[in-house]
Amino acid sequence: MVTLKAQEIVVRLQARTLLHGASFTACSGESIAIIGPNGAGKSTLLKSLAGLLRPASGSTTYDDAPISSMTAAGRASVIGYVPQHFNPHWDIQVTDLMQISLERSRASVQRGTLDAALRTHDIEPLRDRWWSTLSGGERNRVLLAMVLATAPPVLLADEPAANLDPRCRLEMVERLSAYGRTALSIVVMHDIDLAFRYFDRILLLNDGRIVADGATAEVYDAPILEDVFGVSFIRSQHENVKTIHPGNVAPTR
Amino acid sequence: MVRYWCTLALLLIGAVLFGACAGHTWVTPADVLNAAMGDTSMQAMLLREWRLPRVVAALLVGALLGLGGAIFQGVFRNPLAEPYLLGSAGGAALGATIALLVPLSLSQAFALPLFAFLGAWGATLLVIGVARTAGALDVPTLLLSGVAISAVLGALRSFLMLALSDETVSLQVVLSWVLGGMQTPTWGGVGILAALTLVSLFACIALAPGLDRLGLGETMATAYGMDVHRFVMLAVLVAAATVAISVSVGGLVGFVGLAAPHIARWHLGPLHRVVIPASAAIGAILVTVADAIARSALPPAEIPLGLVTAVAGGPFFLLLLARSRKW
Repeated sequence: MVTLKAQEIVVRLQARTLLHGASFTACSGESIAIIGPNGAGKSTLLKSLAGLLRPASGSTTYDDAPISSMTAAGRASVIGYVPQHFNPHWDIQVTDLMQISLERSRASVQRGTLDAALRTHDIEPLRDRWWSTLSGGERNRVLLAMVLATAPPVLLADEPAANLDPRCRLEMVERLSAYGRTALSIVVMHDIDLAFRYFDRILLLNDGRIVADGATAEVYDAPILEDVFGVSFIRSQHENVKTIHPGNVAPTR
Repeated sequence: MVRYWCTLALLLIGAVLFGACAGHTWVTPADVLNAAMGDTSMQAMLLREWRLPRVVAALLVGALLGLGGAIFQGVFRNPLAEPYLLGSAGGAALGATIALLVPLSLSQAFALPLFAFLGAWGATLLVIGVARTAGALDVPTLLLSGVAISAVLGALRSFLMLALSDETVSLQVVLSWVLGGMQTPTWGGVGILAALTLVSLFACIALAPGLDRLGLGETMATAYGMDVHRFVMLAVLVAAATVAISVSVGGLVGFVGLAAPHIARWHLGPLHRVVIPASAAIGAILVTVADAIARSALPPAEIPLGLVTAVAGGPFFLLLLARSRKW
């Protein structure tokens, strides 16, 4: 059981303030979707949680230890980060990618460990494929497998499924949210409908501030969604699945 | 994989034998063997004292260039990166020019390698220092600093060459060094070079896991627990030292450091733990053969080694490039 706590995180880039004091607390067993319009600070928040970005003030603590005081290796062993875009610089085989990924936590990787990791993450059939020959969906599966190979207690993902076909996308989002059953999974979601369908908790960002933070069911009905995104939403329910889709552009007030 | 390493080993032995046989006067492999066994004939003595140390030195210089090239390409993740990228060529040339043209109280056999090494190593340190002051130790800043420092060092060398040359000092000696002048060291010198090469080899192999991680991109490498800037600086320092050692004995030998890592990757894939040793072996083969050609093609004159590697290597590299599917 781990706790990740963001306290008043402020991030500045030159003269612009990207995050104005974001705070929240999250624990193992939660799957959280971060949503918000473009430029709201979603990726910035995720990166500062991952320790990839040093905030101007405020801090993120992992089980009461500030991540800024952790060693890079220590941080990497507890936090798995999935970037929005990933492309290795050299064309490389899937098995080698997994090997490099497993080396995060141990100096030498036995063949058995590697095989087991490939099987556990369902990418055994892809093991000898070169990165350049993988489809978008396969790439995302491999990327997720790489990050989860060392079973980090915290998963931070910048929705890597945004450009996939519907099936791959659903599978990917399902995997990301399912990781939050045992660990903590925080995912920046661009698809609002999927965010509400798959995650327990929603963090809504606007202009570098967390403007709503609550259980999915609460935020689903909140009128603040319309205010933040500047559109009207059509909420509907088929059988047990609640959906939410943008309707019309709201008149600017 | 095993077959590939065996092939490399056989090629390396073949290259050494070829290098030992080639020269102003060609000898048979049997002569070489006799000389190595301690035969006391004039020919055997000449082979032992002059040709064999030169062949081994060429092999080591090639291995160092292969190592340096592999590290630089790994750090800069750029297939065009080569060992002389961060000012070491300009620095080495400046150092050598000083050693060759400025009257010093040191013997030239000692001053030339020393000054070339100091120039190459110092130039890279300067590049890193400038990049650090200029803002960041990231790849674009390092590359730009390298270009700027190289230009300044080149201009300095040209000035020195103009200012110091007169009827008594020929510029040809400087020019031939810059184009790749292999020195013929004593066996003691070869021993030192071999020890340094071994240290470089182990240092470079130790960098391999980090380079593999860096190959995933800086964001991923950082997320995987790597202090990217620190690692880049460390790797550049190791590679620059490696290149400076090669320069001190081999002068500026173009193209080998660029090609060797590529040739290694074509067969072995991009993992640095295999690319680095393979690149060292390929560099050693290339320079040993090129040096043999340089010594034997136009007797009694010697062609600068750098010209041989460029003339023979360029088209060969293009051919391989055209045939390869990856990289």
